[in-house]
Amino acid sequence: MTVRNRGALAAMAAGVAALTVAALVACGSQPTESVGAEEASTLASTPPAAASAPSVPVTAGELPADAETIPPVRLVIPEINVTATVNAVGVNERTNEFEVPPGVNQIGWYRYGPGLETAAGSVVIAGHVDSAKQGKGAFFRLRELDQGDTLTATGSDGKARRYRVVAREEYAKTKIPLDRYFARDGKPRLTLITCGGPFDAKARKYRDNIVVTAVPA
Amino acid sequence: MQLSYFRRVAAGGAVAALAFAGVAAFTATPAYAATSKVSVVHGIPDTPVDVYVNGKKTLDNFKPGDVAGPLNLEEGDYDIALTKPGEPIGSAILKVDNAAVPGGANISIAAHLDAAGKPKITPFVNDVSKVDAGKARLIVRHTAAAPEVDVRAGGTPVFKGLTNPNEAKGDVDAGTVKADVVLAGTDTVAIGPADLNLKEGTATIVYAIVYAIGSAEGKTLDVVAQTITGLHSAPGGVPSGDGGQAGTGVNTWWYVLTGAGVLLLLGGGVRMATARTGRQ
Repeated sequence: MTVRNRGALAAMAAGVAALTVAALVACGSQPTESVGAEEASTLASTPPAAASAPSVPVTAGELPADAETIPPVRLVIPEINVTATVNAVGVNERTNEFEVPPGVNQIGWYRYGPGLETAAGSVVIAGHVDSAKQGKGAFFRLRELDQGDTLTATGSDGKARRYRVVAREEYAKTKIPLDRYFARDGKPRLTLITCGGPFDAKARKYRDNIVVTAVPA
Repeated sequence: MQLSYFRRVAAGGAVAALAFAGVAAFTATPAYAATSKVSVVHGIPDTPVDVYVNGKKTLDNFKPGDVAGPLNLEEGDYDIALTKPGEPIGSAILKVDNAAVPGGANISIAAHLDAAGKPKITPFVNDVSKVDAGKARLIVRHTAAAPEVDVRAGGTPVFKGLTNPNEAKGDVDAGTVKADVVLAGTDTVAIGPADLNLKEGTATIVYAIVYAIGSAEGKTLDVVAQTITGLHSAPGGVPSGDGGQAGTGVNTWWYVLTGAGVLLLLGGGVRMATARTGRQ
């Protein structure tokens, strides 16, 4: 074998190696497939109201009392090694967006929606997937959750409530049906939200939201 | 609570008095939404009543301070009559004939006293448009036998110069606010103060009424409240990451690597081929 030949072979080998690595990376970066999208949307639909009672409801016109909401204070998801403190948060005055706690190890419960006591609607908890300054966030591995995985949310009343994952969906932020995830009607459910999908390094933004829906186990 | 915003809204004069005919004129009536939600508010002191709609008894022994409904009423004209409990409709103490109920609206009909103390019926169209995430709607209606008033939140007037039978409204930050009602331009408290718990995504409608006649001052002002839920909006988005470590897109450098791989393979192949043909 000539020197010329050996050089050519080495070049080809390097080429194959490069292609293999690139292909592996490409496969590994495929967006996680959504599972259970149908279940999630069924949970959000409200059953038709029962035939209204013949008599007209009459209430004392008293000023509304403080609602008894039970905020979640701790969330444990063994499958992805999450134990996080939950803060009650609202919306950012300036952006009108969900005020996700700035600390990446903390996650935020949407205090305007239902709490863990609810008999209807979506309890929403959102957390960072990561942060440029602080690294990986509490929900870094949220996209790995699958149907059947369980999680435990503990309320301010000290009671732990178990939930079972029924859906994991990925939506472009421009298309996500937020009204459904922030609904106050439909079956009681827990909705976990973080960022995902391709990252725009210039805008420092992820394209997508990852949404995990769980129901009381 | 954003008082400045609140004041602007009040000053903007979001104040409306609507006759029954006006209700129809104000409300679009899409063909698919023929029914309206109608609530009835009792703000006449010391006078429980039976309420008749189109000659049929709809509310029995309806007490002052109570709110009935919502009833789903088809679009159309209605005769409404109030009688003393058990008395026939013929001896109604108050009645309105041919009240136009538009389709697809949310209406509150208040039985109350006018400024001079005479019983009357006033319909109000309830603003059930969505509020922004984090906000609540406060609507105050003057339905008491009382002069012009100001409504204050935390001691600052937010709705000024409200007269019977008008309303003032504004969307404010959800939460609890200490509110009272004073005679317009004065510090003379007429109602309250009371804690108003304005829950996000709801409209709280407060009716100022005369609650009881015959107390020491001659009359006592109070409030009746009605709440409409389900007006919430979702936040604009959920920004939850700016690190990029979880990005699933393929980085540019991997494309470069792929290109290099293809070039190496091709180049090597061509060289091998030319080397072989060269030897022959």
